[in-house]
Amino acid sequence: MKLVVCIKQVPKVTELPWDEKTGTLRRDLASGMMNPACKHALEAALQIKENHNASITVITMGPPAAEEMLREALAMGADEAILICDWLLAGSDTFATSLVLKEAIKKQCPKFDLILCGAYTADSETAQVGPQLAEELDLPAAAYVEKMEITGKTLRVRRLVDNFRETLEMEFPALVTVSMENYKPRYTSLAGLENAFDQKDVSVLDAKSLGLSSSSIEQKGSRTRVRKVFLRKAQKGNVVLQGAASNVVHEFLDRYQRKIGTVIGKSIEEKKQHDDK
Amino acid sequence: MTTNRRKSIWVFGDYRNYYQNRVTLQLIARAVALAKTINAEVCALIFGHEIDEWIMEYTAHGADRILAIDDPALKSYSTEKYLAIIERLARERDPEIILIGATDFGREFAPRLAKRLKTGLSADCVGLDITEDGLLLQIAPSFGGNMLAEIVTEFHRPQMATVRPGTFKEIPHDYERTAIVERLPLMKGLPKPRVRLIEYERSVEKEHTIENASVIVCGGRGMGNKEKFKKLQELARLLGGDVGATRPVVYAGWAEHNVLVGQAGKHIKPKILFSFGISGAIQHTAGLGEADFIVAINKNPQATMLKMADVAIVGDASDVVNNLIKELKKRIRE
Amino acid sequence: MLINPCPKHKLIRDSVRSFAETELAPIAAEIDRKAVFPREIIEKMRPLNFFGLQAPREFGGAALDSVSAAIVVEELSRVCAAIGLCVTVHNGVALYPFMKFAGKDQKNEYLPKLTSGEFIGAFSLTEANAGSDSASVETTAVKRNNEYVLNGTKIFVTNGGVCDIALIFALTGFEPGKPQSSVFIVESKSPGFLRGELEDLCGMRANPVSSLFLEDCCVPEQNVLGNIGDGMKIGLATLDNGRIGVAAQALGIAQGAYEAAVKYAKERQQFKKPIASLQTIQNYIADMATEITAGRLLLYRACSLKDGGAPFGCEASMAKLYCSTVASKVTSLAVQIHGGYGYSKEYDVERYFRDAKVTEIYEGTSEIQRMVIARTILSQLTF
Repeated sequence: MKLVVCIKQVPKVTELPWDEKTGTLRRDLASGMMNPACKHALEAALQIKENHNASITVITMGPPAAEEMLREALAMGADEAILICDWLLAGSDTFATSLVLKEAIKKQCPKFDLILCGAYTADSETAQVGPQLAEELDLPAAAYVEKMEITGKTLRVRRLVDNFRETLEMEFPALVTVSMENYKPRYTSLAGLENAFDQKDVSVLDAKSLGLSSSSIEQKGSRTRVRKVFLRKAQKGNVVLQGAASNVVHEFLDRYQRKIGTVIGKSIEEKKQHDDK
Repeated sequence: MTTNRRKSIWVFGDYRNYYQNRVTLQLIARAVALAKTINAEVCALIFGHEIDEWIMEYTAHGADRILAIDDPALKSYSTEKYLAIIERLARERDPEIILIGATDFGREFAPRLAKRLKTGLSADCVGLDITEDGLLLQIAPSFGGNMLAEIVTEFHRPQMATVRPGTFKEIPHDYERTAIVERLPLMKGLPKPRVRLIEYERSVEKEHTIENASVIVCGGRGMGNKEKFKKLQELARLLGGDVGATRPVVYAGWAEHNVLVGQAGKHIKPKILFSFGISGAIQHTAGLGEADFIVAINKNPQATMLKMADVAIVGDASDVVNNLIKELKKRIRE
Repeated sequence: MLINPCPKHKLIRDSVRSFAETELAPIAAEIDRKAVFPREIIEKMRPLNFFGLQAPREFGGAALDSVSAAIVVEELSRVCAAIGLCVTVHNGVALYPFMKFAGKDQKNEYLPKLTSGEFIGAFSLTEANAGSDSASVETTAVKRNNEYVLNGTKIFVTNGGVCDIALIFALTGFEPGKPQSSVFIVESKSPGFLRGELEDLCGMRANPVSSLFLEDCCVPEQNVLGNIGDGMKIGLATLDNGRIGVAAQALGIAQGAYEAAVKYAKERQQFKKPIASLQTIQNYIADMATEITAGRLLLYRACSLKDGGAPFGCEASMAKLYCSTVASKVTSLAVQIHGGYGYSKEYDVERYFRDAKVTEIYEGTSEIQRMVIARTILSQLTF
């Protein structure tokens, strides 16, 4: 069985430096990590590999630094890694990204049985690339997959969408996007990490090697255009309360108990102070 | 052939969770406003079986036209069937805009439809408008929600967006309203779906109520430890709300993954959000959506969360929780 | 030699950090307070190769270079020094002499068990009257038929309470003025192998440090590590390597305390501003960061020398001396920056402070390190 896992490097969000003055992300300073949902997808592939005779190709589109993430995927147990890296492709929207991924998959592993993607990325959260890649490759697909069972060429998946538990079936080749509910990623073994650098290679592809020229990327590429990016306005009252916890809580409730009471549908009021005497 | 036809804004009728999630009604309302600017009609799409209830509802909430396909074969939701149907309809009728609620279904369905129609899509929009040059202005969160991006689809039609539930207000229903209801037969020759629905059931798990809760008590690492964190449950009970957690807390095992709030977890839109001991890293704040009223408690006066708050309390989160519990018990009258 | 972290080292650091923060951080304070050895965590660590850091792949090891191995110990110790100690002792002074001195049969028998963590290893040189002065060892091993009979008491054995295998230093030659020592591979199940009570120590409390009593403990003769009489040679080589491990551990503790202090300094308000805005605190932070970075370079230099096959004993001693001094200083400053809270068990820096001290003591005290360094320098040809 041939599995392809599409993964993405995202900034480690807890470390993401943010320039409030210019309203831009200091992406240059942020170190990257494998997008968590992608890591769950890889874990799902690894579990399939353990139970079936399967090989795993991981593939990403990103800057040269994304190689590190591919090494991590190799360390976790992937067999092959492909980095699609070309400045021509920088700034692709999901429409263009799914096209590029299709070309790479068709070129490098056309005989795949199953493609796995993370259900969403932590940085943009569009959740579009997986479904769009399914369209590009004309595959049966399911998003937000929590569990998979494979019998012969049939894939059975379980998922939760909009409060509905669904069990779906489809035949290979197929595509799934994997949610973070199940498939908790394994820790990478140290031997795996060492091997990933020592004994495995990452193949690097550019746009040209995928038969994508700059004009074809322009024609077929991004459909959307970002006109402006701006910092979300905070329109908050920002009342600051400070002091001993009990005093602050008193003050807070005195000022806002009516508001809170309205929302929770109960009356909140302080007992009269007359028994103080 | 299409030139003489009035422009149309389509709203996908996502009726499956009608009583919990009113995003379709919200989109119809916004479409009505947008339609005025570009002189278009608002058309709601309903595919399913025994769908008269939704035809009536969407009409009452502002749709000008309903495209309805009522067929036993559409008894349950199917991404593939709906894709095939809308693709045909869109090719015949050339809608100017297609709006889809950013439900789980919508977020899987819309990107595939956009790809099929070879057009652009912005995901999870929190604002829609019409630009001076008559384009759909799609305001979508980017970079984890701290930034908003104004996105347009210049050269391709339809212009498509998924919209986060709760972004717009629905128009109050008016059962006197009328709409042109086109009941279409299920078209012939649609490709056979390759994904088979084996079984489905409505989940009754509690895990999704946090997304609709009106009061949420969120806790972060600043709560100190697991025992102190558990106090939030008591506070939430007093307030009739739910507990949410940040990623470090979930990773530390103080709370389950299903209450994780943020990019990787749930998006919430409570009327009141209490935020205890949360610094406000963007992977968390990205999930706070449009919380109406935020009360944040943190030891660090510089914490981003305090700056985002309506009421910022500088102090030890756990102390404040204990005092709030004590004080609310005295003050709440049932 | 490596000055900047390469992608591999960065990834190893990230991976171990994520393991430590997820698995160790939640329990570190508790296992310290209760002084319990967390077996269930050890089970989680075993398949990840934490017990075969540098062992060859054919024996189930991870075959890491020495910088990588140091990073592993650093990152574990950054969160939980007691676990870092268990790992570094097992790898640095139990597994290492095995790899270096064991015969083929010994390797085949014991290495897979050690590298998989099925067996936890210990190294026991120290006795009541013999510390760094290894010539004063009083434990004896006398040959009887085809086995050796060991008698004596080892003290302060790290991992002592849980080890499945211990390398025991014992006298095998009793000629006056010319003592001869050897090292024996002793399984804990051997008859006459007894463990003492766990020590009640200041820091690293989750590590089961104990005495080992050898009472007519019989060991097959093939369990001599290397050759009879190799004791001193094995001891010195092992200590050199062990010092790299302790330096890494000290550095990890310092790093953990430093990060906690920086975070606290940014949060703690006095005079209506964070104390990080006070110059005194800034000076502390600058010194801590500089010294930790200097220590790290010294440590990695010893590691690269070792990997290059060059003598590294002097550099290992320098790294151990410096990093342990930095650890004590940084943890003390971290407590200072935390003020009264730092002295409370509510905050991790209190534990770091206690854990750091022993890095100046074991595997050769700072005084001994200076002796080793000076001896190396003075024995070189003058320039």
